[in-house]
Amino acid sequence: MRQQAAAHLHWQSARGLEQAEFFAEGMHCANCAQSIRTHVGALPGVQHVEVNLTTARVNVAWNPATQRLSALLEEVQRLGFKPVPLTGAAADTARKAERRAMLKRIGLSGLVAMQMSMYTVGLYAGAISGIEPWLARLLRVTSMLLAVPVLFYSGSPFLKGAWHDLRRRSLGMDVPVAAALLLAFGASVFNTFRDSGQVYFDSVAMFVFFLLVGRFVEMNVRRGSLDAGEALVRSLPARVTRLLAAGGSERVALDQVAAGDRLLVAQGAVVPVDGVLAAESALIDESLITGESVPVTRAPGASLPGGAINLGAPCTLIASHSARDSTLATMVALIERAQSERPPQALAADRAASHFVLWIVVLAVLVAAAWLWIDPARAFEATLAVLVVTCPCALSLATPVALAAATSRLTRRGVLITRANALERLATITTVVLDKTGTLTNQGVQLGAVQYFGAGDPQRSLALAASLEQHSTHPLAVAIAAATGERVALTGVQETRGRGLEGQCEGARWRIGQRDFVAELTSGGTSSDDERVWLGSTAGFAAAFELVDSLRPDAAEAVARLLAQGLELRIASGDRQATVQRIAAELGITQAAGRLDPAAKLALIRTLQQRGQRVLMIGDGINDAPVLAAADVSGAMGGGAAIAHAAADLLLMNESLSAVAVAVDTARGTARLVSANLRWALAYNICAVPLAAVGLVPPWLAALGMSASSLFVVWRAHRYARSPT
Amino acid sequence: MSVSLLLIPLALVLLAAAVGAFFWAVDNDQFEDLDTVANNLLDDADPEQ
Repeated sequence: MRQQAAAHLHWQSARGLEQAEFFAEGMHCANCAQSIRTHVGALPGVQHVEVNLTTARVNVAWNPATQRLSALLEEVQRLGFKPVPLTGAAADTARKAERRAMLKRIGLSGLVAMQMSMYTVGLYAGAISGIEPWLARLLRVTSMLLAVPVLFYSGSPFLKGAWHDLRRRSLGMDVPVAAALLLAFGASVFNTFRDSGQVYFDSVAMFVFFLLVGRFVEMNVRRGSLDAGEALVRSLPARVTRLLAAGGSERVALDQVAAGDRLLVAQGAVVPVDGVLAAESALIDESLITGESVPVTRAPGASLPGGAINLGAPCTLIASHSARDSTLATMVALIERAQSERPPQALAADRAASHFVLWIVVLAVLVAAAWLWIDPARAFEATLAVLVVTCPCALSLATPVALAAATSRLTRRGVLITRANALERLATITTVVLDKTGTLTNQGVQLGAVQYFGAGDPQRSLALAASLEQHSTHPLAVAIAAATGERVALTGVQETRGRGLEGQCEGARWRIGQRDFVAELTSGGTSSDDERVWLGSTAGFAAAFELVDSLRPDAAEAVARLLAQGLELRIASGDRQATVQRIAAELGITQAAGRLDPAAKLALIRTLQQRGQRVLMIGDGINDAPVLAAADVSGAMGGGAAIAHAAADLLLMNESLSAVAVAVDTARGTARLVSANLRWALAYNICAVPLAAVGLVPPWLAALGMSASSLFVVWRAHRYARSPT
Repeated sequence: MSVSLLLIPLALVLLAAAVGAFFWAVDNDQFEDLDTVANNLLDDADPEQ
């Protein structure tokens, strides 16, 4: 056990706790998850237990002073689940073994069920046209012999599951299934030996076969398309080529790459860690990270995210982060956090499903009693059908599979969901509040029209402005400094925060910045023209620079799409009112407020919420953190390693506003899918149970109905995850 | 009808053979990867050369 324990993903977490994560094999229903949560959670020293039904993952944190991992794993095993490591060769082997065992069980039950239906046809035909008693007996005994391996080999997951359920005194969905199987088998054996009455061996075989197929498909869907995080990790290479300073290269494991290493990325290979392009430009496909499917050419010095694919010639990458700190690792951690939380929707469905099983058992007893009174000959079949036909799994699966499908769909479009309940909240929003700079517009501003005054040489004025502004980090200053490469010599440059800069040039005092700041020097008029950046000396104004920020290329389209979705759009910006108005007018947004500091933005959101609106706030994620936290749902323009610090529910990895519209669409679609799935599961049960209770559903049809209903729910989610956006 | 005495055991033998063949196939990776093999046909790189 000790060695096995070491193989599980196991790490030291904060506050002196230890934490481990593993798969719990054999988890199918909400009750299984609940029992791990309560039983493992009740052990001494265990701080928290998170169980994710959809991915069958368990995450435990415990105090190493009073508890050991091996004891925790033993408890999980005692509850009837097999702990399996998350990653590495051991996990692959375990999954492969489970898949093979499942295939064999399905194959055996399917082949036997076919064979047995032949015997059943013989028996039915015999019952009508007469059959020699010894032949009927031979057919029954042969069926019985064939049913034994089907029930105890192929059907063992259900029997074991029910046994574990009963031992921990809970009612999982395996309980009615196992009860039906054993009842049908027992009664048939009894009838075979007393040589009269019905036998149901073929129903047993078919029931096992249908149920196994259902579980198998469910297992594949769960492991395949729904685990978005794992797809990301799998894309990374295990070994990379590191270039040595002395020349030559070596192959090293991905974990050993440190910041500063020079790595060779071959054509068609995945960029292993975040890094900077060394010498050549490269054609890069970043679709895995950003969802952007058009490859882009990156110049030398550009930073590349780990997980991007090098489509062009081999290039050299200087690692800026180790694999553990790269964008991809952070994305996976965020996805996993979202997946390990249980959204309220799913919790409600869990509770409903566990009550449901209790009601089925009660109902089955009532049906049996009623039929015994009306027509004892049919009591058995009707009870069996009631036990089999009802399907709590469709109810408990409906929500988690839909949410997982939506997450995977959005991840492919470059939207990362970092909170489990974000989608649920996103589906109900009425208002979108957009920050301007960095959200609607690109991060930087550019120099637009320049107006020159007086007799000064325009070129010298610009050079002077650039020379002054290069001493500041203000975005407007950076833009002006970047407008020309020419510089003039300055002395005594001083910055007055928020107003401008002052410096000496050839004996004259020069100022650049807001008009009234410069006007103090020029003693000229102080009109409130705050749109432009002014340059002036004691001799008067020399120039006025207009700075424009360019809209993101997809801003107009995204805004149109959001408006078409019936959402109210607002701009809340710290920028100047006139600029904000211009952008708003360009985009067709009627409500735009400028000159808002974070406190005023917060107040705006609070006011909207008090009016009953539900607000999605999109910002840059770092400066806007308190504002984002106040909104009902928050989205941040992500990208780069900064995503780890972004306190937002949605991260827009491709920095594209269109993704917001996609996310809203998907959230609404998911809400519809969840409620449609729940309605469907409910309708199925409401129709099927009475029919079974009055004896109109033969046991084999009940088995088919139950399997089909849960498959239908999973299939719809699967189809939704794959559908185009 | 006494031919059933021969046919039923014969059917059981065939069933056992079918189950055995299926188990063999599962254990020998026949169902592990159904996509790659189908696409191999279109792959230009000929392993023979």
